[in-house]
Amino acid sequence: MKISTLVVLVLIAVAGGVMISTLSDAGTYDVFNAAYKNPGKEYHVIGSYVHENGQEYNPEINPNLFSFHMKDTLGTVSKVILHKEKPADFERAERIVIIGKAEGNEFHAREVLMKCPSKYNNDSPAKDNAENQ
Amino acid sequence: MESIAYNGESAWIGDLGFLLSGISFSCALFAGLSWFLSLRKSDSHSPAGWENFAKKLFFLHSFALLGVIALVFLVLVGHFFEYQYAWQHTSLDMSMKYIFASFWEGQEGSFLLWAFWHVVLGFIFLRKQSEWTAPVMGTMSLVQAFISFMILGVYVFEYKIGSSPFTLVREMPENAGLPWIKNPDYLSLPVFADGRGLNPLLQNYWMTIHPPVLFLGFASTLIPFGFAVGALVRKKLMQWQSPALPWTYFSIGILGTGILMGGAWAYEALSFGGFWAWDPVENASLVPWVLIVAAGHVMLVNIKANKNHFTAIVLTLGSFLLVLYSTFLTRSGILGDSSVHAFTDLGMSGLLLIFLFSFVALAGYLIFLNRREFIRLHNKEDAFYSREFWMFVGSLTLLLAAFHISFTTSFPVINKIFGTKLAGLEIADYNKWQTGFAILILVLMGIAQFFKYRNTEPGEVFARIRVPLFSALVLSLVSGYFLGWLEFSFRLFYLLLLFAGVFSVLANGKYLLFVIKGKINHSGASIAHIGFGLLITGALISTGKTKTISVNPDNSLSSFGNIYPANENIRLNKNDTVPMGNYFVVYKGKEKDGIHILFEVEYLEKDAQGNYSQAFTLYPRIQLNERMGNSSEPDTRHFLHKDIYTHITHPGIMPGEGVEWKGPTTATVVSGDTIYCNNATLIFEGLDRAIDTTGLGKVFLAVGARVKVLNGASADTTVWPLYIIRDSFPEVREALLPNLGMRIALWKINPDTGSSEISVFEKLSSNNDFVVMKALEFPGINILWAGCLIMVAGSFIAVRQRIKKKNVA
Repeated sequence: MKISTLVVLVLIAVAGGVMISTLSDAGTYDVFNAAYKNPGKEYHVIGSYVHENGQEYNPEINPNLFSFHMKDTLGTVSKVILHKEKPADFERAERIVIIGKAEGNEFHAREVLMKCPSKYNNDSPAKDNAENQ
Repeated sequence: MESIAYNGESAWIGDLGFLLSGISFSCALFAGLSWFLSLRKSDSHSPAGWENFAKKLFFLHSFALLGVIALVFLVLVGHFFEYQYAWQHTSLDMSMKYIFASFWEGQEGSFLLWAFWHVVLGFIFLRKQSEWTAPVMGTMSLVQAFISFMILGVYVFEYKIGSSPFTLVREMPENAGLPWIKNPDYLSLPVFADGRGLNPLLQNYWMTIHPPVLFLGFASTLIPFGFAVGALVRKKLMQWQSPALPWTYFSIGILGTGILMGGAWAYEALSFGGFWAWDPVENASLVPWVLIVAAGHVMLVNIKANKNHFTAIVLTLGSFLLVLYSTFLTRSGILGDSSVHAFTDLGMSGLLLIFLFSFVALAGYLIFLNRREFIRLHNKEDAFYSREFWMFVGSLTLLLAAFHISFTTSFPVINKIFGTKLAGLEIADYNKWQTGFAILILVLMGIAQFFKYRNTEPGEVFARIRVPLFSALVLSLVSGYFLGWLEFSFRLFYLLLLFAGVFSVLANGKYLLFVIKGKINHSGASIAHIGFGLLITGALISTGKTKTISVNPDNSLSSFGNIYPANENIRLNKNDTVPMGNYFVVYKGKEKDGIHILFEVEYLEKDAQGNYSQAFTLYPRIQLNERMGNSSEPDTRHFLHKDIYTHITHPGIMPGEGVEWKGPTTATVVSGDTIYCNNATLIFEGLDRAIDTTGLGKVFLAVGARVKVLNGASADTTVWPLYIIRDSFPEVREALLPNLGMRIALWKINPDTGSSEISVFEKLSSNNDFVVMKALEFPGINILWAGCLIMVAGSFIAVRQRIKKKNVA
């Protein structure tokens, strides 16, 4: 076999390996029900913060404990516990992605990612004008 | 529709701007077509005629484009807030350098910046006429036509395509139908008195330098791309590489600088605690760079050994096509969920896709036309023990690394096409593969140059790399021992990467000293390689050994959840001395400085006698930002061997009006009722109507609540919070108790029930002033920054040398 053929074969094999490994590493966005059916396994859950249920963060007592309630895309609400500081501007987030696992009746998040209104979002004076008039 | 004459609008700027954008677009389009027409092998048309025509059109395009840019600056500097671009990105109080930066805050401006660099590069390129002028300039003109079209913002069959920087606020689609847009004097509305201003997050000096450099980097990939197109059109698959190589090296240097500046910005000013997060937007700029690096190496091989022309063409084409792909990713809104700094869609995504697919199709078609030529050229076989073979393998490894990053970054696209729900990968997932690729690339970087072109005795190579190889082995094993990586786990890969990094630095150092003998002109590649080796080694040590030193000392509080570690943040009460890492830290207080709150955090060291001495003081900040939300900015103490990085994760109680006060707690009371507070007990004894009103001005009625303040520490006092009626307006005058940190207000009197409402505000006492902080130690990060500088310097030395060589040849 020619060396260049071999090199190309290796190239294709590694590229395939990259794809398979990357796809198997990737979590998929899921819902609370899936996470609670499989406690201990990590899930990415998308949802939004339930304002009515409030949130708890008492940095005077424990700066590494933040809890809130989140509603997932199917409408299931669950308590979420984050063992970190409360993310800045948590209330502003339009959508939240939590990464973590279910344990008992609570979802323990390792990471809380927030989708805030983008810093490149177009503001418009429309709303301001409505308020001024 | 009846037209309204609006007062005070400077509509001429927009009209002129739109006209110039149109000229810019049509001239670029026809310049491109003319340049390609000049390539035809036909006797009836004079190619030189077409070329001259195209050149004139390109000049016209350039002047129109510069005119557009000047007009956008006029709109920004002149504060013409009737224009969306000025209203959204600038404000009256902004300093000149930020008005300058606001030019590229928006999509339209950043497209203009990109196009501006194409014009600059085009003019430099046009200084020398060659057989590559027409294809390179033709390709560039077509790209310019697309970009110009994007900022025209026209409607095609009711679809708005692109977005013009000259759009008036009242023309914005979201304002359609609102009553004020029919008001001829709408500009006198208060909202138009000032603009929104540049997002405070971006009011950073990096914002003034990083985007121009990065966009010059993106623009620079177009010239090698144009050469490759020319090679395919002219069916000269070998000759293009020598003149294209200096441009390719320039691209490597400048795009690399732009990307690294982004990392430095993130490290210095953002609070995610690192310089690289594999964010899709970062990746989108990294992938074209990796490909242009690979392309540059293959081109060099081809010049020396005349091989792998297909690979060189594909990599060169790929680099610019991936710039287009990354433009699509970051500007179409498709990354929305997976990136923090992607743009939202401005109605450009369709056109961006057409832009991308047109050039992919062009590249694919041209390659197809040359398929026989490629096969004919590919008859020689690389010798296994040759430099060209190992450089080729290295370039393919770069290609694989780029593929891995690009594939992973494309998850949102895959989700869109296939309806999957793949979540983005995390840093560790990226590092897993990239560590492997980096090991391979670094080792090849060390070895390949000791092979000769065509063929080498394997023993000869080993003899040459023996010293660097064994030195690197010993060095990495020793430092691996101290770093704690000598164990049978994933850390073994750290150790391997460390070895590869050290080896590449030593091997290139040896090559520089003993083969090139330190001759600066030929040292570009070796210096760039040493820089890259240091960069990776520094990144490895600082990332692999990052230590969170802000561990909360009170572990009982964190033991609640042992599912995930929970002690990254430390709480510091004001003036308490708390051990942290090798230091003791004291939070001394905070102060307001413009739009920032500075937190003074003193780091102390304790000597053997137990005496504290001040080591240094850091001022991490919180930026007050009503529009985007407050954001935390770190402060970092730089040492030669490590950085101490500190950022505020929770500000405790923010200073400012009404914030340091807790409450009010309101109680409805009748005479004799008691109100219990933290610092005192209040007894409401009744209302007094006979109030001394001197000093209150003209009042109609004044009622005071007689409140007795009991507090164990000091004598009892009585205060009268007042309820005053002045000109039929009620007014509340609080009673202040500065010593107790209380304010008492009589809020309401209910004559029917005989009750009163009394509110109490309590100042949060000073021992409640605390801050929650995270502190990280980054060892060896200066190796990384030194590597960056050395690599960039090496690239530019190589550019200089290539230009010289080309001129000699």
